[in-house]
Amino acid sequence: MLNDTKTPVSRAPSTSAAARRRHAPLRRRLGRGLTYLVAGIAIVVLLFPVYWMIVTSLTADRDLASFPPRLLPDFSQVGVYVDTLVDTPILLWLANSAVIAIGTCICTIVLAFFAAYALSRFRFKGQGVFGFTLFATQMLPEALLVVPFYALFISLGLLNNLGGLVLAHTAFVMPVVVWLLKSAIDGIPVEVEESARIDGASPLRIVTLIVAPLVSPSIAAGAIVAFFYGWDEFLFATTFVTDEGARPASVGLASFVGEYFIPVNQVMAASVIYTLPAIVFFIALQRYVVSGLVAGSVKG
Amino acid sequence: MTTSGDVTSLPSEDATAEQIQPVPKIALKNVTRTFGDFTAVDDVSIDIGDGEFVVLLGPSGCGKSTLLRMIAGLQTVSGGSIEIEGREAQDSEPDERDLAFVFQNYALYPHMSVRRNMSFPLIMRRHRWWHHIPGVGWWSRRSIERTPEVTERISRIANILGLEEMLHRMPATLSGGQRQRVALGRAMVREPLAFLMDEPLSNLDAKLRAQTRSELIQFHQLLETTTVYVTHDQVEAMTMGDKIGVMLDGRLQQFGTPRDVYENPANTFVAQFIGTPAMNLLPARLVESGWDVGGQVLAPSPSLLEVTRRATSEDDGFLLGIRSEWATLVDADHPNALTGTVVSVEDWGAEQLVRVKLATTEPDEHTSILDTHEHSLDVRVPSQRRVRVGESVGLAVETAETRAFDTRSGLSLTPS
Repeated sequence: MLNDTKTPVSRAPSTSAAARRRHAPLRRRLGRGLTYLVAGIAIVVLLFPVYWMIVTSLTADRDLASFPPRLLPDFSQVGVYVDTLVDTPILLWLANSAVIAIGTCICTIVLAFFAAYALSRFRFKGQGVFGFTLFATQMLPEALLVVPFYALFISLGLLNNLGGLVLAHTAFVMPVVVWLLKSAIDGIPVEVEESARIDGASPLRIVTLIVAPLVSPSIAAGAIVAFFYGWDEFLFATTFVTDEGARPASVGLASFVGEYFIPVNQVMAASVIYTLPAIVFFIALQRYVVSGLVAGSVKG
Repeated sequence: MTTSGDVTSLPSEDATAEQIQPVPKIALKNVTRTFGDFTAVDDVSIDIGDGEFVVLLGPSGCGKSTLLRMIAGLQTVSGGSIEIEGREAQDSEPDERDLAFVFQNYALYPHMSVRRNMSFPLIMRRHRWWHHIPGVGWWSRRSIERTPEVTERISRIANILGLEEMLHRMPATLSGGQRQRVALGRAMVREPLAFLMDEPLSNLDAKLRAQTRSELIQFHQLLETTTVYVTHDQVEAMTMGDKIGVMLDGRLQQFGTPRDVYENPANTFVAQFIGTPAMNLLPARLVESGWDVGGQVLAPSPSLLEVTRRATSEDDGFLLGIRSEWATLVDADHPNALTGTVVSVEDWGAEQLVRVKLATTEPDEHTSILDTHEHSLDVRVPSQRRVRVGESVGLAVETAETRAFDTRSGLSLTPS
């Protein structure tokens, strides 16, 4: 009886399964094609502003407002890059940006790593509250904090000081990096550290020789976050730096915008120059971040 | 009252005897560890001699790993003292104790090669503060690793453990057994005072575990280094240990040789935890002619009966401990044998484990399909002897081997 009722039921899906198998290659091909199409559209949408920036920088003044717009770069206009490098202090601004970004990056990683280690490994009263209050800076908009920061910077003599910007940026980006590193350190078996203790490693050696290399992908990810925060921050930089010589590139770029005239192609050329070091930094660290995704699966 | 002057001028016989006594390699004296209200290790005292292989055995959560971690210095001691080679060590740092620890999950450094993993303890011995400087540290660690002394020692240990071919490989590319050997190698290169091992075989499959177990025994025979080994596997404990410490709820239940612990268990917990199958414990009472087991009387030798009589009274009753090999399956009409019915037969290949429910005068109130009858016992029977479920059989018990336990406290009543 049971078999009688079961047989037709079990036959029906097998027929449709066979049909599915027959159409499988076509479906797979269609599915893959659709994936490529969506990915291709996403890439075009994401890269078009970058492409437009390059095209605009290599467009003659007279063609800037032409319709239909020029879609291909005019390489005869490459001199605008030379003009930008020679006529403007962009290299100084880039150097300032590099000092701020690298400074933010180093301060953030060093402070956040040890804070994350303490949060991950030590048990102390108020640990949960401490971890939560780290995010207090993230909960308030930067614009709200500009005025109190300005007052603080005046009293500390940090106006027009790159170090001051490094401090301000570090304070803002550190909480994110602390939590990023904390979750990475949580994943290291505590026995690995205990083993190092027995092998004669001091706490500092354990942290530098064992823990840091094991969380290096997360350190690289944190470094990228901190670097870009320092590199492209604008609000604090434009408020706390009034001296032209101490300007970072983000503020310098904005200074191209005149009252009556905006040299669009030159602004775009400066933007290309501005993005290049950041891209190089990202590419240099990117492989560590990617390798981290694989390294995480290795058991201690 | 002896003055200090007397002692220096003329040492007493007791003092001389004390000097002759060898100092234990590791001595635990009333060691206690509490976590808030919970006592993980309660007043444990053990002396571990030089070159001894001591196994701490017990079920999960009995405090054996905590005790081992306290010896290693990874856990602080709440009370009592730990002496290593006669020196108080409970407050010293783990590396000052000169003990090596092998972890259950191996705890290899995943970002270092096998060679670097093994040489890490030796590198740490020569590590200086300026080695933290990036670049300098890398170069100095590399040069320490390449010194003839370190290379020679690594090669020697790798040779013993069969790791020569794997020295350049990363831990992630090794199998469980190989990782275990690397962990052992890292412990061995230090040439420590003692090895501490926390369930090092529990992550291996059954076949590899048996193989590695015999390898560990060989290494111990070769190195003769004092070893404290924690396990919950009583087969490991019995086969590896010179001495076994059985623990339950943080307390040391018994400490002795495997044979002693097996044959003379200090209490019913040890009797049932050690041995497969566990020791049979049958409720019994003392009567004029012998021991009454559920209405059947066993007649031990007069001297043994006297021992039981001294330890217990006729009203109290006691638990009669019979190992499965201390009873022999005989015909039901055999004289001085207990009679019963076979309730189950497990064929183990070379022998079979037969469970016999004794014929008792007490009413059988058990309705469960599981055999939970308190007058049932397991007996080993050679596989040549055909045994059928439901068969009436006799059990000839070697009464001289049996052990008696107090019904309430569970403590052994039989002098060992």
